[in-house]
Amino acid sequence: MIILTKIKSINWQGIRENKLYKRFASLKTSCIFLGILIGFYIIGAIFPQDAVLDDYIKSGGGFTSFVIFFDLLNVFNTPGFLIAASLLSINLTICAFEIFLILRSQSKTVSEGLQFTPQFTFPLDINTQLEDAGEIVKEIFKKEMGFTEKTFTCQEINIMEKGWSYRWLTWGYHLAILFCLFGFFMTYIFAFEDEITLYPGEAATIKPAAINRWNKSWGNKPQELDFKLILDEFITEYNQFPKLDYPADKLSRLAIAMGWKDPKYLLKEESYAPKDWKSRLKIIKGNQVVLEKTIEVNDPLSYQGITFYQAAYKQILKVQIDDNPISFETETDHELIIPGIDGMLKFGAIRTGTLFKKDGGTEKIKTFTEAALIRKDKSGKTETEKLGKLEHDGSLYIDDKRISIREFKEASVLSYRYDPGVPILWWSGVTLLIAMALRVFGAWYRIIYRLEEKDGMPHLLLKIKTRGIMADEERLIKRLKHSLEKWAEPIDLDEPV
Amino acid sequence: MSNLETILSRDSYILAVEIRLFWLVALIYGVCLILYLIHLATKKTGPGRMGTNMLWLGVITHAGLILLRTFEGQRAPFQTLYESLSWFAWSTSIAYLYVERRWEDIYLPGILVTALSMGACLYALLTRSPAVEPLSPPLQSYWFEWHVALAFLSYAVFVVSCSIEIVYLTIKPSVKKGLRPEYGLNTNNLETFHRQSFRLALFGFPLLTFGIFSGAAWANEAWGRYWGWDPKETWSLITWTVFAIYLHSMSIPRWKGIPASTFNILGFICMLMTFIGVNWLARLLGIPSLHLYAM
Ligand code: HEM
Repeated sequence: MIILTKIKSINWQGIRENKLYKRFASLKTSCIFLGILIGFYIIGAIFPQDAVLDDYIKSGGGFTSFVIFFDLLNVFNTPGFLIAASLLSINLTICAFEIFLILRSQSKTVSEGLQFTPQFTFPLDINTQLEDAGEIVKEIFKKEMGFTEKTFTCQEINIMEKGWSYRWLTWGYHLAILFCLFGFFMTYIFAFEDEITLYPGEAATIKPAAINRWNKSWGNKPQELDFKLILDEFITEYNQFPKLDYPADKLSRLAIAMGWKDPKYLLKEESYAPKDWKSRLKIIKGNQVVLEKTIEVNDPLSYQGITFYQAAYKQILKVQIDDNPISFETETDHELIIPGIDGMLKFGAIRTGTLFKKDGGTEKIKTFTEAALIRKDKSGKTETEKLGKLEHDGSLYIDDKRISIREFKEASVLSYRYDPGVPILWWSGVTLLIAMALRVFGAWYRIIYRLEEKDGMPHLLLKIKTRGIMADEERLIKRLKHSLEKWAEPIDLDEPV
Repeated sequence: MSNLETILSRDSYILAVEIRLFWLVALIYGVCLILYLIHLATKKTGPGRMGTNMLWLGVITHAGLILLRTFEGQRAPFQTLYESLSWFAWSTSIAYLYVERRWEDIYLPGILVTALSMGACLYALLTRSPAVEPLSPPLQSYWFEWHVALAFLSYAVFVVSCSIEIVYLTIKPSVKKGLRPEYGLNTNNLETFHRQSFRLALFGFPLLTFGIFSGAAWANEAWGRYWGWDPKETWSLITWTVFAIYLHSMSIPRWKGIPASTFNILGFICMLMTFIGVNWLARLLGIPSLHLYAM
């Protein structure tokens, strides 16, 4: 109550007449702020964002002192950018408020000082008094053409409208943009994300290492979540993938265009393109399963505001050398040094799961990997020697040593994120799109007209204003002429009513 | 022949037909460009009219090509850069023909339109792989399909808007001075012609907005993050913001003339940066690209 009285006692009119306020209520100011933001965006598009400074320098990045001084690798977190974005938000808030006040007053009365300059004049061959003609014209506009009358203080001039009010729609989507900015703000302050690797059958507790800006600024530590996640199964699927025999050089491509050669799809034996990877997940709270879902890329799982995404997978294999009971564990695409072997062993991606074949059939893949030996010559150059396919319990020999695969293991890598900005952005984004589409693609008409007696005949003086791509002035005039002609026709008394 | 071999040779055959048809389409756009250039050089309407008729032929053939690609890939035909460039070229030409139908003997905007349509086709044909390949899991999303289709459609509309703007700016002084018609434009129809440019940009803006929105929705589902300040995303935001300034400047009386036109043309340049020049400025300044998804 006290707050309300205090708000009421503020001199709002005084504030609205303040010079700074007026500047913020201007469209020009919005353009200037948008221009400043573009400057930041361009910097952000040129300099790699979130890159580590050392990596940037090592890769030959210049302007180092500028980069360090202005924090150009993190430009969207700099005070400059945040201030510019906040100023635009204030500008938009003030504009939305001001436009609202104008619209509210306009919907009650239309301005009295309206200058009426007719665009079109139609003689009304209706054979009635001016007043009756007024009723007929009103009827035509309302009943036949779907217009609604607007309250207007001036007696002689009539105003009618048809379609969604474009002004309210414009206001609506500007307000939606403001909500979007609020959504971004919520993400900026409260969102956090991390990753978790799950092995099949294991129950994992979730303790994010990352923390949102809000908690960070209060010195809070990340909290372990009060539920556990179990991966029941991890599923990989592949597509059989024909390679296209097609030249890269432009002349040969031209030759194909001329019909001198044909492009050809070829199927090498091991051509696998990932089709999908899926995790069968269970969420456990206390001792109960509270949620079950098989997630895949593009289809995440949400629980208590946290969303889990299928991000990647991790593949591990156990390698045995000769009959040594202790085996080595390595990840695919990592180099493995084995004592007694000149060079490093490297295993390619494990292919397992289902293969969807080109001819429409499916096949269970006999799990395998491809091994390679990497050696460095005296000049320091690396050479890769392909050793071939290795299946479970299969072996190959290098320097008289027998290398066998004893186990293939796959883990699912999930990223998870808490982001309260997303629902706000979703709903304001949808509203923005609907309002903008109705405004731009729709049709809105306003007609202003007056009837005048000229040469003993009533005349309709008309002005049309349209908005929206679908609005068609010519069509409106045609319909109007058609309706007027209909009214001008003599009534056939023999025709039953 | 085994079943698989039959499938592969059938696919190879369809691809060969498709590639040759695509070259033919690029050639038609090229011929249109030449005809429009002859119109520019001679001021005669004949070549311009022929250019437009030829462009109709190109657009119809191109529509067939896009349908063939849809049949070939059994999916929406704009998911690789090769496909989306083709989609862009087609939508640019059809958008132009749509607005052109109400003009009488105005053909100059066709120069930029056909140059870009032909350029996009040649760029796809000469530098990208035409293979119909299985999509990687993150790309298998309806959001992604809408994202590409609508973003490129908006780009097409912006191209036509910009070409009208350029013609208007170059022709205006001589029409105003000489009060005589130039290339079908005269004091009576010049402003109505120019108004199309604004209407097109206004039409494209919600499409681009939806393009960005669906891109964010897709990224949110695929990677759990709706925005990552990747250069491509950032350039599309720049394009969007420049067009927002352009549309606003048309409501500011003192900015309505040259400043607004400049923003429209700048928007077009930013749009080009979005899909072919993402890392060009960085390369020009010798700045390494360490972005994850930079193309
Ligand atoms: C991110 C920021 C903004 C975007 C993307 C944006 C977008 C647009 C677009 C596309 C239009 C033209 C379409 C139409 O007429 O409906 C427009 C018009 C307009 N905008 Fe904005 N706007 C933004 C911010 C602002 C701000 C801060 C103001 C406050 C001054 C503002 C005030 C207006 C006004 C008065 C119009 C003219 C509406 C009319 O034609 O009646 N906008 N805006």
